[in-house]
Amino acid sequence: MNARMRRRRFLQAGAAAAGSLVLPGKAPAQGGAKPLSGTTLNIACWSAPYAKIVADYIPEFESATGAKVNYDTPSFPIYNQRTDIELSTRGSAYDVLNVTFIYSGRWIGAGWFTPLDDFFNDPKKTPADWDATDFLPGATNALKDKAGRLYGIPWTVDIYMAGASRYDLFEKAGKSMPANFDVLRDTMKAVHKQDGVPAFLPENHYGWSFIPFLQGFGGNVFRDPPDDLTPVLDTADAIAGAEYFSNLLREFGPDGAISYTYDQVVATLKAGRANYSPNGQIFLLQMGAEDSKVNKTCAFSICPEGPKGRFPGVATHGWGIPVGSKNKDAAWQFIAWAMSKPVIRKMVVERGYSSIARRSLIESPEFQGKLLVNGQDISKIYLDTIAMGASGYMKYRTVHVYPQVDKQIDIAIQNIASGQLSAKDAMQQAQQNSLNELKRAGVKL
Amino acid sequence: MNRPSALINLSAAAILLVVLFPALWMLQLSFRQGGDIFDMRLVFVPTLDNYRALWTGLFPGSLGNSVIVSLGATALSLLLGVPAAYALSRWRFRRRRALALWILATRMAPPVAYTIPFFLAYRFVGLLDTLLGMVIIYLTFNLALVVFMMRNFFDGVPRALEEAAWIDGAGVWSGFRRIALPLAAPGLAATGVLCFILSWNDFFYALILTRTKAMTAPVAIVNFMQYEGWEWGKIAAGGTLVMLPVVAFSVFVRRYLVRGLTAGGVKE
Amino acid sequence: MTTEPSSLERLLPAPRRAPAALPHWRREQARAFATGLAPALFVLAVITLGPTVYLLVTSLTPLDPVHPHSALDFSDPVGNYRTLLGDGRFLNSVWVQTKLSVATVGLQLAIGLGVALLLNAGSRFLETARTAFILPMVLPPIVVAVIWKVIFTPDVSPLHRSLDALGLPVRSLIADPDLALWAIAVADTWEWFPFTMLMVLAALQMVPDEPIDAARIDGAGRIALFRYILYPYIRPTLVVAGLFRLIDSIKAFPLIYVLTNGGPGTVTEVTNYYAFVESFNFSYWGYGSAIATVMVAGVLMLSWLVGRLDAEQQRDE
Repeated sequence: MNARMRRRRFLQAGAAAAGSLVLPGKAPAQGGAKPLSGTTLNIACWSAPYAKIVADYIPEFESATGAKVNYDTPSFPIYNQRTDIELSTRGSAYDVLNVTFIYSGRWIGAGWFTPLDDFFNDPKKTPADWDATDFLPGATNALKDKAGRLYGIPWTVDIYMAGASRYDLFEKAGKSMPANFDVLRDTMKAVHKQDGVPAFLPENHYGWSFIPFLQGFGGNVFRDPPDDLTPVLDTADAIAGAEYFSNLLREFGPDGAISYTYDQVVATLKAGRANYSPNGQIFLLQMGAEDSKVNKTCAFSICPEGPKGRFPGVATHGWGIPVGSKNKDAAWQFIAWAMSKPVIRKMVVERGYSSIARRSLIESPEFQGKLLVNGQDISKIYLDTIAMGASGYMKYRTVHVYPQVDKQIDIAIQNIASGQLSAKDAMQQAQQNSLNELKRAGVKL
Repeated sequence: MNRPSALINLSAAAILLVVLFPALWMLQLSFRQGGDIFDMRLVFVPTLDNYRALWTGLFPGSLGNSVIVSLGATALSLLLGVPAAYALSRWRFRRRRALALWILATRMAPPVAYTIPFFLAYRFVGLLDTLLGMVIIYLTFNLALVVFMMRNFFDGVPRALEEAAWIDGAGVWSGFRRIALPLAAPGLAATGVLCFILSWNDFFYALILTRTKAMTAPVAIVNFMQYEGWEWGKIAAGGTLVMLPVVAFSVFVRRYLVRGLTAGGVKE
Repeated sequence: MTTEPSSLERLLPAPRRAPAALPHWRREQARAFATGLAPALFVLAVITLGPTVYLLVTSLTPLDPVHPHSALDFSDPVGNYRTLLGDGRFLNSVWVQTKLSVATVGLQLAIGLGVALLLNAGSRFLETARTAFILPMVLPPIVVAVIWKVIFTPDVSPLHRSLDALGLPVRSLIADPDLALWAIAVADTWEWFPFTMLMVLAALQMVPDEPIDAARIDGAGRIALFRYILYPYIRPTLVVAGLFRLIDSIKAFPLIYVLTNGGPGTVTEVTNYYAFVESFNFSYWGYGSAIATVMVAGVLMLSWLVGRLDAEQQRDE
């Protein structure tokens, strides 16, 4: 056995030992039966960077517990669609699933996930130092039902901010990262097509990327969620916001901007083929990666402010256990392990994962270091945005019928940006269709 | 017929190029290195990395599933459909045309009309995400195909041979086994291959009715449309692998292709 | 379909159906045939009629898994259909479907006919070409969709890059609301024109030589030859091919799923896709069933038409 193999074996053993330390219950007997041997866990999550990192650590969990894990990471729309079908049948095909942010209201509200309080409050199932209160309230609130029971352990808090891949072009035009919408428009005009780079590119999930603009202009999705779910997409403010955002897309976006999904946007930004992007932090920080062409020219800022205020979006995803799972205890062991402090710390340190929801780790020095990208400290943006998000404007997201309205918003912005409808017509159509969808879903308005 | 002019040959070649080019482009894309994907140079250093990368996750399993499901669906449809086709061909009874029409009509319905009831039913009996479940639902288009194509082929076998056997006292199915089937054997092979191709190619049913255990190859490709850079290399490699068996087999059945696609409705 | 004679009828001296007495062995035969036919018919009935009935029944309820009791809620049976008539998105989907079907069938007939005329000249090269032409038809439709996704994505597309190099840059077709449907029509035509081509080619090769030779001797030009001699012979084939493609065009899914997702906006959202979205993205199974039922009714009407024309063609043979 050469030195490298020996080192690898040593690391593996160490990792397994470390992994086993966070598992509740009996420590695995040396050479004896492991707690979960014979159990197979089926786990799925959409293909976020975090999900891919977890894939690399799963062998540790398997060797420590003896469980076999089938891990699946389809793309975002496919994951949501299949999970929705699976959950609606209360099926037992999966033991651990991601609670997606825009579906959390629907899935939790329909009772398709298991409340986790009994798991993490039970000292036999979860060690005391796991500390369930360590998770940011801004994150866990989105995963609770009306009674306050928790259905998902948040693995990310994705905040909406802004990034520029070619900040050097900004500086050349004498501009800085825009602080509000007025300046944003002028800045886009000044840097558009400089060095052949189009200025503006959000991702085409407009039910997420457009909302800060909608609210920034004084509009909203529902009148007063969760009590009054009347959509208000056709108010004058909403129309103004839609027009502003769509014009930016049309005038300063790359060719075919409305077809750019989140992964295409990341690839485009990293290659320096689009400049400014109001987007989620988990995507924008990829610009600082080693294989990114723009890791020396990228810049970041907090979400710009609109005439009626600053409303950066906050998206939470969490691990949950579907009600139909036949291995709930084993499933919880996985969640407890994956969300334990040591494992998350390892991900931060070894893989640079920087979108976590544990306060103790956010305040740790290792994390602070990870939020330093191209010499800029993102941590202040991160914490400020999370604090803002807790103030309530994100309530639209946890409404159980939001997925349908989300789709209508997507369609409306596409219609405006592609010139098919005026902002007024498109938003009125979205309003009408949303009312129909709500009626079909049995919502009383 | 006159020999075609050079102009006609040239035009045919040009059209052929247009037809083959998109598939060939995808093929060459599957051999390109990661960064080169965006390159337009025709000469490049090929790599098998994309194919190697495919061999993780669910893709190999999905190819296996595709093979099992397609073979199973073919076998079951032939088992059920060939005798029925023979009966339709040889048995003169009233309403024969109406029955034939109904069988044809079953193949015409849009898949979504079957998927909803099948989904709800499978969930009830536990056939979701199972290979057996997929084999059964593929009968909805394979059975009509087999019945019609084989009826066509049996029609091409003269009745006289079997009638002679019948007069000698042979049973219907003995005549089938000893006379009609061997004579229609090439047709049987072609029909079987066509069933395999159509089952292999299905996307919609597999998308809705499978999760992980029974996922077939066409659905697995869609999984590569992932976050963090469209993995064009992997997508192209996956697409190439999924199309290879079909392309190989279809060369053998090219004569019967149109007949098959119209469920035997039209001979070519 | 004739039913098996009942035991009572079997005791009768002669059954009333046949003009002459049915010999015993004929009835044996009938029974044997029925045994061969029955399993297939039974299975087919179970897997097609059963689901169709269930579809119809479900379409009369507002079935939605979020409200489990909705499965048996027949309080408003035609509610879904009433909503359909007023659903702008559904009506739009029918219009989009019509546009797409007309475009694809028209293109496939035209190009199929043209190429068939070209290849009818007959040579060894052309025979090989014929085999190669089947490629698009047999490819898995999802692979076709992936291929065209590559061609329609400006970054990696040889089409866009070449046009760019020639100084004719073209904006992304699938993101352009005016062109997205045409992009799908082009991809679909690439996939299926060999079908019409092969059918027309077969028909052309069955045209007897005498009228053609006679016309040529009389000095008919190529156009007149086509119009007065070839076209009447191949017209029935064109009609049948067109109808088959029409019915298949209603099933269009992978291209839309991969290329446009029904967008931009809803400009490529055909009825099939809309039913899929309603049923499997939002689990409105009752409503989705209603849409599917309407589609099945439409397709059945078209199938009946095909059956009629097919019967005519068979009678002519």
